[in-house]
Amino acid sequence: SGDGVTKKISLDWIKELCQQFPQGITDQVIQNDMPHLEPQQRAMAINKLLSLGQLDLLRNSAGLLYRMKDTQTASKMKGSDNQEKLVYQIIEDAGNKGIWSREIRFKSNLPLTEINKILKNLESKKLIKAVKSVAASKKKVYMLYNLQPDRSVTGGAWYSDQDFESEFVEVLNQQCFKFLQSKAEAARDSKQSPMVQRNSSFATSHEVWKYICELGISKVDLSMDDIETILNTLIYDGKVEMTVIAAKEGTVGSVDGQMKLYRGVNAIIQPTGLVKVPCGLCPVFDDCHEGGEISPSNCIYMAEWLDF
Amino acid sequence: MTAQEVRLCGLLLQEHFGDVVEKVGTHLLRNGAQHLRAIVQETGTPMDLVKKSLCVLIQHGACAFSSGRKGPGSPVEYQASFERILRILRYPRYIYTAKTLYGDTGELIIEELLQRGHMTMSSTVKTVADRLTLNMEEGHSMEYSEVSNTFSKLVETHFLQRCPPVEVAGKAVSATPDPATTPGAPANNTTPSTPESFADCYKVPHVTLIGRGKRRNSSEDGEDQRNAKRAKEDPETHGDEGIYWQVNFERFHLHFRDQAIISAVANKLDQTSSEIVRTMLRMSEVTTPPIATCTQALSANEIFRSLPPNYNISRPILDQYLTLLVDDPMEFVGKSGDSGGGMYVVNLHRALANLARATLESVVQERFGSRSARIFRLLLRKRHLEQKQVEDFAMIPAKEAKDMLYTLLSENLVQLQEIPKTPDHAPSRTFYLYTVNQLPTARMLLQNCFKTVANLIERRLFETKESKRLLEKSQRIEAILASLQASGAEPEQLTEVEEMITPPEKQQLESLRHHINKLDSAENQVDETIFLLESYIKSTATATR
Repeated sequence: SGDGVTKKISLDWIKELCQQFPQGITDQVIQNDMPHLEPQQRAMAINKLLSLGQLDLLRNSAGLLYRMKDTQTASKMKGSDNQEKLVYQIIEDAGNKGIWSREIRFKSNLPLTEINKILKNLESKKLIKAVKSVAASKKKVYMLYNLQPDRSVTGGAWYSDQDFESEFVEVLNQQCFKFLQSKAEAARDSKQSPMVQRNSSFATSHEVWKYICELGISKVDLSMDDIETILNTLIYDGKVEMTVIAAKEGTVGSVDGQMKLYRGVNAIIQPTGLVKVPCGLCPVFDDCHEGGEISPSNCIYMAEWLDF
Repeated sequence: MTAQEVRLCGLLLQEHFGDVVEKVGTHLLRNGAQHLRAIVQETGTPMDLVKKSLCVLIQHGACAFSSGRKGPGSPVEYQASFERILRILRYPRYIYTAKTLYGDTGELIIEELLQRGHMTMSSTVKTVADRLTLNMEEGHSMEYSEVSNTFSKLVETHFLQRCPPVEVAGKAVSATPDPATTPGAPANNTTPSTPESFADCYKVPHVTLIGRGKRRNSSEDGEDQRNAKRAKEDPETHGDEGIYWQVNFERFHLHFRDQAIISAVANKLDQTSSEIVRTMLRMSEVTTPPIATCTQALSANEIFRSLPPNYNISRPILDQYLTLLVDDPMEFVGKSGDSGGGMYVVNLHRALANLARATLESVVQERFGSRSARIFRLLLRKRHLEQKQVEDFAMIPAKEAKDMLYTLLSENLVQLQEIPKTPDHAPSRTFYLYTVNQLPTARMLLQNCFKTVANLIERRLFETKESKRLLEKSQRIEAILASLQASGAEPEQLTEVEEMITPPEKQQLESLRHHINKLDSAENQVDETIFLLESYIKSTATATR
């Protein structure tokens, strides 16, 4: 009976240790704390706790790790069989990126019907949830219930419920441009030396990010990377140009020792001559020839344009 | 020679020289070099008319003759030059430029030379002096020497050049259509020599021209005509017989190119930077060959000394401006060395490429909207992108982005490049990349420009034809009015004649005038686009040689 008491005591002891170190304990820690416990008894105790579902077995670079299992989920999982536990484990491992049902099948080697049953079960127990991926609208990925889905799945700040928020992007686009434009104008009006003028017309991506955050037009939190994607679209609109400068590590807004600077620019030419004429914009340009149904002589676009 | 090019040339020839010349010219453009008999047969025009047409074309430099390809004994062949005929479209721009640079005198000199093709200096000066005198007050007239001065200045700055002398007429066989007064390309070698290859190209001959412009009064009309005829056969010589002058189009083109670059710099940066670039271009006007990709290197010291006097910026400020120009992503100016305070060049080819690129972007923007323009610019920057990447970078929803890409693809502004992963090119295992090739797209747009100008000309001719009856009536009434006024008629008679045109007819005439003006100016505007695209294409061709 002394043996049984030792066992109970060591079980409780190990459980206490685990609670002390929520991130997990190694064999070495147990040994240091309970030097009188023989390795064999230790192994038995740990196995007992594992089978009871009160401990989690993990592996890290140093070796095996034992962690206190979340009692809530532990109680919920009590009713489940090993298969469910396996599937749950796989989903947990996928973290906040989620995992596709076909991949669960590969990893667990269980037949599809089984998987589906288990997934339905787990969902009803509110242990996992399905999130629609923005990449393929029919694809569903599963992840733990209380996890925040990763950006690659939801599409990040630009998607709300699978819909790309074009208006939101447009508004941000215009606001960023206005900010940069007014900064450039202020620099021009300052009438200082040209170098100073040019440098003060630049804004770092960090400055723009702060301005947008302070404006408060965004319901979701935007990161500096998000703002940089918006600024890039302004570059593709031909309204803004960017340079990169070296910045000291630790300067606000610097990433990997460099900062991106943006400033508003003007177009280098006025709209070209060809587009001031109806033919330059005509949708049936290729069908037009003299003597045909569509010809310069009977062109209605020209007639309208001439009378303007 | 594309169909559009031939059509445009035909319209230009017809408007300026008439139907016969148009027929002969278009025939030559379509069929390459031909000898006289072939032209006569294939166009069905009588021999003497063909000769006269060739005369006109050669006089204007639109046609060149050379000995036949089959050997020294074969008949002379004639070849029309599409480029030269197209220049007719740009005449207004040349005349206007001459006016801004050299005043009314310069304007009239260029106008006369453009109209006549080739002229001697003395006849040009006399004609221009007469024209200027006509516009001056009674009792004033224009000195020949003043006009000669302007002429010499035009030659000094290379806007005018001598026509290359003609080879000994004996070598050219039978079908030379014109007596010795027509200069042309040398008859012997097949490689065309440029006017610049002759040593005296820009040398003003010593001309004895003393006198003033003659005013022609309307009362001396009959006398005038006799005088005019006599003037043509005037034996009065001035020492420059046989030396003919023509307008140097290339020089004007360099001037236009410089103007475009300067205004681009002014738009992108500021006025002072554009003045600096203007100074740099002015300094390298004579030292840089026309096809160079960048000007000669100029030191900052030289630039500082050559700035216009009313721009008193200090030396360090100039250095700052130059540094900013060099740092600008458009790369108008480049730094080629550090001696003399920094050696700077203007990147001509890069600037032309940027201007052409801006033109392409402008067309896409106006035609398809700003979001399509965003996709277009994105592809220009990133070269090759997949469908998904285009959507992500441009931040346009997938469905719309797809639609826009396909529209651009169908208009051939964007191309699709397939990169197969497997040898069987299976679509599911192939990368499809969208890309924009600037040079072919520019060529395609250039052809569109030609078609557009031809459309505008045809519309203008149509509008005129529609209102022909009305125009004739208005002309008759104007003639009646003029003669009545000259013979001192009563005001009531004048108003009676004026009222022969009813108010609705007046309105119609007014709107017709408005239409014609609009079409005319539109032709000039499209010609600006043609100029930019042509310069870019030519510059790329020489840069990649």
